[in-house]
Amino acid sequence: MSSKLKKSLIYWAILSPLMVVILFPFAVMFVTAVRPRDELFVFPPRWGFSEFRWGNFAEMWVKTNFGEALFNSLYVSVLSTALALALSIPAAYALSRYRFRGKGAYRTFLLMTQMMSPIVLVLGLFRLMVALGMVNNLNSLVLTYAAFNMAFTIWMLQSYFSTIPRDLEEAAWIDGASHFTSLTRIFLPLAVPAMAVTGIFSFINGWNEFVLALTMIRSSDDFTLPVQIYSQVAGRFQVEWHHVMAGTVLATVPVAIVFSWLQKYLIRGMALGAVK
Amino acid sequence: MASVTIRNVEKSFGAMKVIHGVDIDVQDHEFVVLVGPSGCGKSTLLRMIAGLETISGGEIVIGDKVVNDVPPRDRDIAMVFQNYALYPHMSIFDNMGFSLKLRKRPKAEIEAKVKDAADILNLTSYLDRSPAQLSGGQRQRVAMGRALVRDAQVFLFDEPLSNLDAKLRVVMRTEIKALHQRLKTTSVYVTHDQIEAMTMADRIVVMNAGRVEQVGAPLELYDSPANLFVAGFLGSPSMNFIEGRYLRDGDTAQVICANGTALPAPVVSSAWNEKQVVLGVRPEHMHLADGGEGAAATVDVVEPTGANIEVLADLAGERVCAVFSERHPFRPGEKIELGWDLNKVHLFDPDSGNRI
Amino acid sequence: MKSLNGFKPLAMIFPGLLLALFIIGYPVLDLANTSLQEVSRFGQLRGFTGFDNFAEVFADPLFWESLYRTAIWTVTVVGGTLIISLPIAIILNDDFYGRGVARVIIMLPWAISLTMTAVVWRWALNGRAGLLNATLMDMGVLAEPIEWLAEAQLAFTVEIMVGILVSIPFTTTIFLGGLSSLPQDSYEASMVDGATRWDQFRHITLPMMKPFINIAIVLNVIYVFNSLPIIWVMTEGGPANGTDILVTYLYKLAFRFGQLGKASAISLIMFGVLLIFTIIYVALVMRGENDSDAGKDE
Repeated sequence: MSSKLKKSLIYWAILSPLMVVILFPFAVMFVTAVRPRDELFVFPPRWGFSEFRWGNFAEMWVKTNFGEALFNSLYVSVLSTALALALSIPAAYALSRYRFRGKGAYRTFLLMTQMMSPIVLVLGLFRLMVALGMVNNLNSLVLTYAAFNMAFTIWMLQSYFSTIPRDLEEAAWIDGASHFTSLTRIFLPLAVPAMAVTGIFSFINGWNEFVLALTMIRSSDDFTLPVQIYSQVAGRFQVEWHHVMAGTVLATVPVAIVFSWLQKYLIRGMALGAVK
Repeated sequence: MASVTIRNVEKSFGAMKVIHGVDIDVQDHEFVVLVGPSGCGKSTLLRMIAGLETISGGEIVIGDKVVNDVPPRDRDIAMVFQNYALYPHMSIFDNMGFSLKLRKRPKAEIEAKVKDAADILNLTSYLDRSPAQLSGGQRQRVAMGRALVRDAQVFLFDEPLSNLDAKLRVVMRTEIKALHQRLKTTSVYVTHDQIEAMTMADRIVVMNAGRVEQVGAPLELYDSPANLFVAGFLGSPSMNFIEGRYLRDGDTAQVICANGTALPAPVVSSAWNEKQVVLGVRPEHMHLADGGEGAAATVDVVEPTGANIEVLADLAGERVCAVFSERHPFRPGEKIELGWDLNKVHLFDPDSGNRI
Repeated sequence: MKSLNGFKPLAMIFPGLLLALFIIGYPVLDLANTSLQEVSRFGQLRGFTGFDNFAEVFADPLFWESLYRTAIWTVTVVGGTLIISLPIAIILNDDFYGRGVARVIIMLPWAISLTMTAVVWRWALNGRAGLLNATLMDMGVLAEPIEWLAEAQLAFTVEIMVGILVSIPFTTTIFLGGLSSLPQDSYEASMVDGATRWDQFRHITLPMMKPFINIAIVLNVIYVFNSLPIIWVMTEGGPANGTDILVTYLYKLAFRFGQLGKASAISLIMFGVLLIFTIIYVALVMRGENDSDAGKDE
């Protein structure tokens, strides 16, 4: 047996208990989502079930108002990402290209806000939104998500921007470009991948956020997906678990796939910027 | 085309002054090389000519226009960067034509000019490729081509060959020189490589620690270095320096080393009699002597380079290097006698470093 | 463009700074103000009462219990995560068959929001029909189903496990970043010097990984300390406040019991704690940057 094969077997043996635990909830999710309703509560509990009820998904969609929550989540995630990017791109450019007074203090401020968790401020944020008359308004989430995400997006963008050689812009100036032209023709085209990746992570953050959405949104018409699914579970005597699980499958799987695909960029961004 | 005049130019980064009042005149059509060790300010100076760094003091004139406050795009210069700075998202053709496109020249003209430049640089078959698909040498040519299509008044080169391997560097060196002989565009070329400086320059500017040490034609600097720094910087292997007391006796003179050895020295003003001096002898000006006209030395290490034999020897307690084109069969430990042509050696003032 | 550029960069950072200061700065000031006042359940401020709210918090046994549980929660989740993540990162950094798949699986919990994870676990742990019970009974470990979330001690333990599970991907990622930056030639040199793999781990890997371990500790402490969804979704701090940590207790005070003065006081206390952790984090990052800057100057 080759030594690499032996090593691989040992490694997989070590990793397998953890992998089982990681995959367990996914299995639970799928198996419950396609199970007939009357096979949810059987005794003794068992994995097996009589047939695949794909109709659970359609049923759930209608009964739990899934479409509306999906739209709300998209609205909040897209707009907060757009706002965060619009404000972060110039800031990240300034950080990666200029020396200016107060730069050190600004970087410290970013690091600190990056660590600031909404939960600690949630009461103050709620009172702020009350004062602004924005409770029960999805735009309150757009603003807060953008503000809390910005430190992350600026860091991430800045670390990528710094890898775009400065002399490309200098070459453009010498070739006769103005600052604006060199920005639009040289810098931004090269920065598009970085902006896309950063945007997607910001989107996922908004998509997954729970505490603020739970606090700011009071009417079920404006629930985002996490709150909507939570509301199917919390404080109910009768929980339609097959619907809940069908909902979680739809809400998480697409995002999980995108995330897994882009995860190496996150690792690289962290290695470049935040951690190292 | 135009001349470039640098008048008492200074540069500071914050409180740190990196260029201390530099004056250089680059004539029209001239190829001037700024050379010096890393950190001497040569690249900063070039970037100031380009307009990529602000000028803290003095002025820079291109043609007859003071350009201190002129942005790079209006200086009518072209620049070849150390890392080439090719636009990675554009084809080779677009890279070379970008400047003309920005100037809104007609398509036909852009095409003709890029084709011309590509012809000169053997890039014609690569015009549709992207920079990532080219080798280091080809990228270097594209960077040159981008400068060529411009018909700029001045070409600036920032260590353009330092990322190439040794062989390619020699080839490109010759090509750049041939190109300049053909186009005669005023050029300022920055390098830390003294061989590049010697082989390419009409005139060399030797810089050190933010100051100009000496300006002159390559051989002029080689034969009459103004000071110890220039003498030691130009030439490879570099000049031997031996310190000692100067003794003049009529038409002959000697330098007496610390251990008492007397070395033959050229005749200079008797004001230097009994004073400390530094004797500078280039390795290739050493020869084997006999009959006591030279100085005794012990061979330490023999390094044949093929063309020459380099001998590192102990002479009056100092390690000296001698280069011979004859294939003497030296052995380590062998006693030899080294002499030198008195017309070709120099004396330096050890305090000021200046040549006597 | 290395010189100071005055106005332009400031104009570029200003809009973002303004939003951050407004959204993050205003609540901090408002909380500080509210915590010193008597507040009605509907949020009206009824005048300054000095540190009454704080006194009330400190006299509240539930606060101390939550604080104690927060400490347990933070220490065990962060500790457990680190102990599991380091060997995993070392394995994933090595070359073996199926490494790509293994990486994706290990990182999977990160891709899913904590809320969803907690919802799924709440169902999986269901005392009657949960599939964890099904699995354990199939394996013969259990004879009867267990009510995992009905008793505080057991529920809290399970929540800690889930907390560890969801923290592993992020921590492993930090370690992977660190491991990939370790110079390969140190290992080759040590092999030539006759070091065993254990020697290499102790004398090369561990010391060189120290900055990354520090960062992982501080970041995890901050995240775990502030993590609401797992406990909130699985047990809402119950039964009988038996799984409350500070964040869940704070949330209940503010949005269930309407004790806004007390909630503001706890918020401020937590903000202070968070600030201390953050300052440690900033100091670690800045130190790392200074080190690497010094390295660049040769």
